[in-house]
Formats: sequence, C-alpha cells, structure tokens
Amino acid sequence: MAKHRIFGYCTPWSVKPGDDMRFMVSAEGVTEARAMLVRLLHGDENAAGPGFVEQEIPGAVPDLLHVRRQFTQKGSYAEVSGMEVHDVADGSFTLAAFVFPTAPGTRRQTMLGRWDIAGSQGWALGINPEGHLEFWVGNGQDVDQVTAEVPLIPRSWYFVAATWDAATRRARLVQLGRVGRYNGKLGLVAPYDYDSIVTSALTTAPRAAVAEAPFLWAGASDWNDQRGRFVETLYNGKIDRTGLWNRVLTDDEIQAISAGAEPVSQGLVAYWDTTAGYSDGGIGDTIQDLGPHGLHARGVNRPVRGMTGWNWQGRDDCFRLNPGQYGGVHFHDDAMTDCRWEPTVEWTLPKGLKSGVYALRLTTDGAEDHVPFFVRAETPKAPVAVLMSTFTYLAYANEHLAYEAPIAQAITAHTPILTRRDVDFVKLNEFGLSTYDHHSDGAGCCYSSYLRPILNIRPKYRSSAMGFPWALPADLSLIWWMEQSGFDYEILTDHDLHAEGAAALDPYRVVINCTHPEYYSERMMDATEDYLTRGGRVIYAGGNGYYWVSGLREGEPGIMEVRKLDTGSRAWQAEAGEGYLASTGERSGLWRSRGRAPQKIVGIGFTAEGMDRCTHFERMPDSFHKRVDWMFDGIAADEKIGDFGLGLGGSAGIEIDRYDLALGTPPHTLLLGMADGFSDNYPLVSEEITYAFPGRGGTQDPQVRADITYFTTANDGACLGIGSIAWSMALPVNGGQNNVGRFMKNVLDAFVKPGPLPGGAHVGEEKLWR
Amino acid sequence: MTDPIAPVFHRVGNRRHEYVLVPDGKRDWHRGRVPGLSRHWLMWRGGYNPKTLQRERRMADKRPLWWFLGLGALACAAPLLPDTLLQVAVVFCVFAAINVIWTLIIGAAGILSLATMAVVGLSAYAAAATNVFLGVPWPLMFLVGALVGLVVGGLLALPSTRIDGLYYALLTIGVAEICRVSISQIRALAPQNSSINNVGSFIPQDWYLQRPGLLLSFASAFVLLLAALFLFRTINSERLGLQLQAAREDEDFAEATGIDYRRARLNVFLISSAALGFVGAYYAMLYRSISLNVFSLDQLLLMFAMIVIGGMGRAEGAVIGTAIVVVIDRALIDLGPLRIILIAAVMIAVTLTTHAGLADVRTQFRGWRNRIKSERRAARTRKGGEVMPEEATEISDKQEIAYRRFDRRLRDRLKALITPDLLEEHKAAPLGPHSDALARVLNYFRRGEMPDKYAILQDGPPEAWTYTVMALSGEPGKPPRVVDDRVYQTRDEAYHAVFLLRVNDLLES
Repeated sequence: MAKHRIFGYCTPWSVKPGDDMRFMVSAEGVTEARAMLVRLLHGDENAAGPGFVEQEIPGAVPDLLHVRRQFTQKGSYAEVSGMEVHDVADGSFTLAAFVFPTAPGTRRQTMLGRWDIAGSQGWALGINPEGHLEFWVGNGQDVDQVTAEVPLIPRSWYFVAATWDAATRRARLVQLGRVGRYNGKLGLVAPYDYDSIVTSALTTAPRAAVAEAPFLWAGASDWNDQRGRFVETLYNGKIDRTGLWNRVLTDDEIQAISAGAEPVSQGLVAYWDTTAGYSDGGIGDTIQDLGPHGLHARGVNRPVRGMTGWNWQGRDDCFRLNPGQYGGVHFHDDAMTDCRWEPTVEWTLPKGLKSGVYALRLTTDGAEDHVPFFVRAETPKAPVAVLMSTFTYLAYANEHLAYEAPIAQAITAHTPILTRRDVDFVKLNEFGLSTYDHHSDGAGCCYSSYLRPILNIRPKYRSSAMGFPWALPADLSLIWWMEQSGFDYEILTDHDLHAEGAAALDPYRVVINCTHPEYYSERMMDATEDYLTRGGRVIYAGGNGYYWVSGLREGEPGIMEVRKLDTGSRAWQAEAGEGYLASTGERSGLWRSRGRAPQKIVGIGFTAEGMDRCTHFERMPDSFHKRVDWMFDGIAADEKIGDFGLGLGGSAGIEIDRYDLALGTPPHTLLLGMADGFSDNYPLVSEEITYAFPGRGGTQDPQVRADITYFTTANDGACLGIGSIAWSMALPVNGGQNNVGRFMKNVLDAFVKPGPLPGGAHVGEEKLWR
Repeated sequence: MTDPIAPVFHRVGNRRHEYVLVPDGKRDWHRGRVPGLSRHWLMWRGGYNPKTLQRERRMADKRPLWWFLGLGALACAAPLLPDTLLQVAVVFCVFAAINVIWTLIIGAAGILSLATMAVVGLSAYAAAATNVFLGVPWPLMFLVGALVGLVVGGLLALPSTRIDGLYYALLTIGVAEICRVSISQIRALAPQNSSINNVGSFIPQDWYLQRPGLLLSFASAFVLLLAALFLFRTINSERLGLQLQAAREDEDFAEATGIDYRRARLNVFLISSAALGFVGAYYAMLYRSISLNVFSLDQLLLMFAMIVIGGMGRAEGAVIGTAIVVVIDRALIDLGPLRIILIAAVMIAVTLTTHAGLADVRTQFRGWRNRIKSERRAARTRKGGEVMPEEATEISDKQEIAYRRFDRRLRDRLKALITPDLLEEHKAAPLGPHSDALARVLNYFRRGEMPDKYAILQDGPPEAWTYTVMALSGEPGKPPRVVDDRVYQTRDEAYHAVFLLRVNDLLES
C-alpha cells in the first residue's frame, strides 16, 4: 500500500546518558530519511485523551540519514564454519543423523549438508517437495539424487544416513523409524513400516561447494546479486546427534549408530553431539563437534534447544535430569530473533538527557517510523520510578493474533480493527513472531527479541485484535499523567531490574508498574520482593502481572524466552518434556505453578480477561478505615471511580486481578475497592478451573472481578495493588483531572515522603459501638 | 430455499483394482537406471495405504507396461499373420515411426510443420539415387538419408523462426508440392514415371515379397518403430524436452531462468528431420523403390487424420491413431472408397467427443467423473451439508466431519434466534452488554475459521477516522482483501455492518 517503507530498531534498549547506541534502519523506495530525537509522552490517538504527544529534541541526532534496503534472514539454522577445508566431497563419505521432521512436503527442505543452491554444487540430505527423504549431490552442472521410497511421517523420529561411494559411484540412503512410546506424535499401534533403504548408482559425482557456502544445519546456502549469500530451503523440525565420516560405513556400523551406539572413530570427520554443553543454567547456541576438528555449529535465529531427543523415554521432563535424552534441536523456517542489519547511525546519548521513553523518529515523504528506546537516569534522583514492562513488550512483539489465531475474536469479542500499516505488516511478514504466535509447523514461538523492528510498540499503535493500545502505547498514558501531575519521576525497564536486581529499585521510594507486567524473570520477582521487604513502596497498577516464568540468556538481553505450559491463558502449549527454559534451565509456565503466585508479592493476581467493555471501581468497606481513607480524599463514598477511560471506556477491565488468601495474599491486606458486573466475555481463567462447570463467566462467578488492595511491609514499605490493565489508560481523561488521577495523586503524595505512612497509627483493637 | 432431502447413505468400499507390492523396508532396494540417463527404468511410488497404513509400492507410471503389452502382442502375433495382414503391420510400424517423430516436431518443439513427408521423400529419393546411380552400397543409404534430412530440416527451420502458426503450415505444404513437381520435372526419371526402382536393400532380392522377406520387413519396421519411440522418449523427457516444456508453459519465464528455448526448439527440429531422413532411406529400401506418391496430398491428409484421431503431442496418440487409420485403410481394402469416408467419420467422431484425441480419453473421463461428483456434492451441501460416506473416504481428519455435522445443527438453532429485535439490540450496543441469544450468535461468529473472517480497516487522520470492511486471508504474508466500498463514520457502525454481513452469511448457509 505504501509507496515506500522505513523501519528501524536499536540496541541497547535501555540506556543512560553517555551510553553508546546503534540504530539499524532499512528503507525501500528512498535513500534519505529525516531523523529527529523525540521524547514520547502520549501514544493513543483516542479523542477522549490528549492524543499523540511527542517532544522534539532538535540537534541531538543527525538531521538526515542515508538509508537503504537491508535484508532480513528468516529461519533458524546452524552454521559450521571451517567445513570448507574438511569437505568430504572428493571421496567417499557417510552422513548420519536423527531427525524429527515436523512439516515435510510442499517444498524442498535441506536438513544437513554443504549445498550451494545457486551453483547446484555440493551434497546434502533433506526432504523433497513430496515429503520423501532425499540425498542429493551436484557438480555445478547436473544434480542427481537418491530418494527414500516412503514419505516421512510428520512429528516422528527417524534415523537417517546417506553414503556415497566414490569408487563405485553408488549412493545409499537409509531411513529407519525410531518411534517410541513417548518421543513423537504417534505411539506404536499405528502400523507404519517407517523404514526405507535405497541404493542407486548416481550419474553425477558431488563436487565441493564454493567456500562461501558453509555446511549448514536446517538450510542451504543461496546467492543473488541483491542480497548476496543467504539461507534458503529451510527445514522445519528437530535434529539430534549427527555424524560425518570420510568413508562408507558398513551396514553393521550404520545399524549400531541407529540403535544409539557411540560413533565409530575411524574416518570420523565430525560428530555433533547435541546433548553436549547442557548445564544447570541451560544451553547456548553452539552445537558441539566432538570430532577431531572441532567444527562446532553456531545457531542463528535461536534454534530451540532443550528439546526431547530421539531416545526420550518420558520419565525425565527436563534436560537437567537426563541430558542424554535431550538431543533435540528444533529449527523453524520462520524463526527470526535478530535482523542483523548494518548500523545506520551510531550515537552517544547526550549528558543531561531527562529520563523517559524516547524514540528516533524517521520521516520520509509518506512514511514514518518511531524507534522507541528507554533512557534511565544517569544517577537516580527522583523519588518515583516507573517500571516499563520491556519483557511484556517483547512477549507481544509483532503478534499476529488478529490475522492467524481463529479464537482471538472469541477472546477479545472484537472484530479486528486494522490500519494501512497493519495491512502492510501482514504483507511484509518479515519481522518475526511473538510468543503469542505459532511457527509454520504449528509449534509455539518461545523466543522474542528486540533486535528487529517491533511495530506494535510504536507510540500510536493500537492492537488490531482489540482496537485499543496494548503494552507500551498504553503505558504512555501513565507517563503522560506523571508528566502532567508534576511528580518527579524516572523510568526503569524490566531489563534493568533483571540485570541489577533490587539495586535498581533501591534508590527510589516508590516504584509504579505499568499496565501489564505479565512476563517476569526470577530475578525480577526476587528484586521486587526484596525491595518491598526493605521498605520500598510498590504501586502495582496493572492486570495479569508476574505471570509467566521468563528468562534471558546471560549477556544476551535482546532475546527473551518463555515456554507456555500446562495451564494459564496460553497461546500455545509446549510439548511434553519441553517446558524448561534453555536460557536459564528453570521450569517455565506460570509463576503460580512454581509456588509463587503474584498474590504473594503484590496481593493480587490474574483472574479474568475480556475485551468487550470496561467498567469502574467502587469503594469497599475497608477503604473507610483510617489506615487508608487518606487515599480517598476528595472521592465520595459511593463515587464511581473511573467510569471513563481510553481502554474500552472504563478503568476496570481488559485483564483483571483479584485478592485471594489461598494464593498467598498477605493476611493483613485490605480490600479497598472492587469492580464487578463484567460480562461473560470475562471468563474465569483456566488455572482456576479444576472441574469445568457452567457459569464461570463474569455474570455468575464471584471470582470474576477486579480488586484494589493495600498492605504494608516491614520498614515502612507498602504495596498498593490495582488489578486492571485499563486503570492507567483512564488517567489522561479530562486533561488528567479525574478521580482515578485523584486517587493516584493521594497515594503518591504519601508514598514519596520518607518515614511512616499515613494511617499507620490506627492499628489498635477495634472497639466499635455500631 | 428447497426443503432438505433425506440423505441416502450408500455403502462404499472397493477391493483393490490394482496389484501392489508390499516391500520390506529393512531390505535394500536397488534402483537401476537407464544407461547414460539419470532416469530409472520404471517409475514407482512408495507410500502407505490410508486405510491400513500398510506399506505399498505401485507403478506410478504404467505406460511402460502398456507399451510392453501392446508392442509385445504385435511382435508375437506378426509371425502368425497372413501375408496381407503382415504387410499392413509393416505399414503400421513405418507410419507409426514417422508419426512419432512428427509428434516431436509438432508437440515437443511446437513447430507446425506439414513437410514431414517431404523430408522423408527427398531423403528417400536422394538415398535411392546415390545407390542406383552412384553405386553407393545400401548400408550407407541410411547415412545419406539422415544427412539429406538434416540439410532439408535446416532449410525448413530458417523460416520457422520468422513466421509461425498457420503461415508456416501452409508454407510447408507448399514445400511438399514443390518437391513433387520438381522431381516430376527431372527428365532422367521420366521413363520410370519419376520413380527410382531397383534400389539396393537389406532385403535380399530373392526374398522380396516372399514370406521370409516380409518377416524381415516386419522385424526391421518394428525395430524402426522402437528406435523412433526411444528417440521420442529421450528427447521429450530429458533436458531438451524439459526446457521446451517450460517454454510451452511460459516463454518469458523460461527465458528469464536462462532457458534458450529457441535453440532447443531448433535442435529438436534438426534431430527429428535427420531421423525422418533416416526413415526415408529405410522406406526406399523397404519397397526397393521410391515414387512421387510419397509427396501426395492424400498421404499427408491420411497422416493428419492419424495424429488427430490419436491425439497430438503424445507418442501413444501417434501410435494409436496410426493403428486405426492403417487398419481401416489397408486391412479393410475390400470396402473400397468407403474406407476414406469411414476414416473421416472416425476423425469427426473423435474431434467432436474428445478434447485431445483418443490418448487423452482416460484423463477426460476422470475429469468428467470429477465434475459429476462435485456437482452432486454441491447440490447436497446446499440441501443440508451432510457428509456422505463417499466424501468421508476423502477426509483424513474425521473430526472435520464431526465439526461439520455439529456446525450444521448449531447453525440451525442460531438461525432461529435471528430476529429484528436481535439486530436492533446489536445496533444499539455492538460491544454489549448483550442478551443470551445475541451473545450466542456473536460467539459463533467470533469462533469461525480464519480465512475470509471479517475485519475492519481504519483509515484517515485520527480526528476523522473512517472505517471499511475487509476479509482476512488466514495465510501468513497474504494481506486482507476489501469486501465492499461502503465507508462507515464510526466504529460502532462498522461493527454492526460486519455483524449484518455475518448474519447474512449464516442465513444463506
């Protein structure tokens, strides 16, 4: 639709004045773009609020940028450099591996080999468009192949081997089913004969591919004059241990390896042991070669590790318990965790830049992009910190729910509202997936990264599935109100909290969570808990927070991992035995399932979600206690709190949290307010469902409600929990002059002051006459 | 709307009508190849029987089997035939060979040349002349014939790159006529009525027209046919043929991918012409003479009838057509001139009833059966959408069938809920709160499959947003399409427009 396009991303995401940053920009149809540093103050263009507000900071960045088209390599694969000098194409060889194809057929896929598509040269083992295992060789002119007789059954383990005898010019392809009781989609009762062994003379002998075409796992090297080298014919599925020998293995040797024997060392060129390298803290991207040359394979776009292997027996559900059964490495043709573009601008943040959400604004005639990033204080000075939910931004980054998830409309109760930019985004389909999407083979996407343009954190972006802002663009409503109400504040990100722990929070007297702090690492949980224990004050003003166990690999903050598991509102479900984070080694899924419901830290936790309408809060009896009634100064006893808002017209709703002693809400917690009267589009969350019975929607179930809770902690600490995503989105209504803002101001006025909190004296025994 | 008719569930199920092998996957399968080619001798297809998951190996391309049976039967029967029929068999083999080569020119190369017999005739005259007048021994006649064929082919090829289609066809008819007239003007040949007789041959003089001579004629003609078929197969299914096939599908695309299809066409034309020249030499030897008849228009038209009846572009078509025409023309000789009328009748019948000759009848029959099948299914879907046993055999995920039945019944219940009040209720508050009936209807709509699901496009500046209705593709990378050009001023109007579209879809289903 657009005549030209411009997109960018930057690294790092969270910076301090004086830090270096890099911006990567790609543009089509133009060679120059105007650039401007802007501070983002409000995003949502909803007419009930202040609209889009940005503050230009002229002169901070070069005015004019030279831009060009940069290409993105989609698909995960692993690259073995150094194989050029050890290529076996000159003589006889054997390639053997365990594989688990998940989407054979429809197009060619290369599993293993050094094959140059553009030059038709080299050798490789893969799957032909009909879904049959195939070993092919090429000499630069002609290509010949030997093909297995029966098609591969999807989601089943196979042992596969190809031998090439240079003397007799014969090739042999071996395909042996390795289907067990646990390791694949089917059990033993489906009477398939998975095996096929085919030998044939080939009319063409392999010739080693050009040096620029590396040995690849899950793809083959291609070339064109625009992009140069890139990887094509990507493979969908898992690959387990793999070996390469420079001789023809005997049938006995092949049978032994297929049964799990150690690889024979005679003639061994490489033996990639996918089970090597596991530690208590997970595993990295390198697939180790235990052979004589150390030809390690380096994963690109995060092949998924920690996956069950061909010999998985179902007893151990984690690689930490039995790494030898966790040789599976899952590759996806649409995985993309790093665009790997060349930097367009490298830039040092000027000293004295105020902490806030910033963006590099790129403009061409007819196209515009904001590349957001987060500037912390050089040294914290303000009493208040707003914690930006960067983990959540990653989790939802570039989600395709409105276009690809059939149940999305039933969940959101909305017909999707698309913009021209959304339509373009669907068409472009280049910037990877979110943790709410499925890969093309149906597997859930467990990695999301900021090393790519993320369209749905652009300030004006509105979630197309719901028609209102989500995550960062919604959180800007809180930023606008903070700015408007005159509180001195600075921002922090989840990434800072994860990196520095409670030390990141300690300088602040108050920390405010944004609308949807859903994705939390263990360090973030610990830090928040420790901060509250030491006397910190937290305003948890969001819905469905502290929910998914998420992690970052040490030293690689750009890519977040989550495995959706067993229960919870989950876009997908990890396969059996594949629920642990490869990034950290810990069990993923809900924090609640690991004994750490959010109620234990902030008093409330997820109870329902719905996107048809929002409602308002009402004061509860506890709000009249002198310990807390100061929060309601200026708010009448029966006043509707927040019966307005940019999120579906109310302050209570979208995703809502509730108080529950059984889940660990501190026993002294007060229930200050609640919102009920939700529709049946707000069903009780699945983690609450043991037996399913009718009537678990908002019109019948008392657990479907949003709560406002308050409890104090040691050392004058306190936690106010407001369980609603819509809350902060109500703040900007009427220029910020409204009772939601009033309540926030009352609380913040008290929270920013050091020492005992108001109302703290009223802890005596109640002796009431009425 | 018509009343739903009670579905009739017919029993389905077939025994195998085809023999399949059940190989053992543990044993090596040695796949032989045709020497010099990457082609396997036979094309097999391995797979699993969807009903038993039992492994099966079946012949994916059974044509080699039919060729083997057909030609084998001819070879076995020929020695038993009486002399007259044996002669017919010889004529069949020779003309089948010529037609197979001609098919290469017309079908593979796509050059509409009618000068086939001209090439054969010129080569035959040239070969015969070198033998009779220059004393060249007979084995070398093949070489002479092939060379003359190549040269004539080269000359004929020149205009083929400049003009094409009908003009070229007319030109080539003219060439044949020019050849006939030119040779008839050669004075030296005038005494023998422009023919050359007593040509040397592989058939000894004393065997000529005797039983052993006839048997040798047949054997040689049969080998000639096999050679022509081998040539056809080699060209049509190997590199040259594949290049030309790509060009036939899309010339520009083929060219863009680096295929020089003009050159490939020319090569096929030259090779075929040389082969026709070879056949010409053979022809002169077979009858030990050559006459102007070879250029005659009747002959050309008979061959045209063969190609038309059999089907253009396929070797089996050329052979079947030749068989029919030769049998009528030569074996039913007692019928006299009626034969030609009979051939014409067959030709008309074939062109009226088939799309591409007799060789294509099988595909045509399948297409016809599929059309009937889909018509009947469409009619049934309109009348209630029940999955019939015969359709169930084609749906591998049986849950789909359960969904369809459930969906049909759910839709019937929901249709009863659609009332003017319900529409009014939605219009008043598209996002709720809703009555139980409206909530049920909406939930059904929202749970629908992704392809063609409605969405709303918001356009314009924030202060003047407008809305139009689109439909999603449900495929990654494929953008939504515009449904209609109506523009709505508010979001609620757009929500309601989508609702009305969906109600309409429900009531129409």
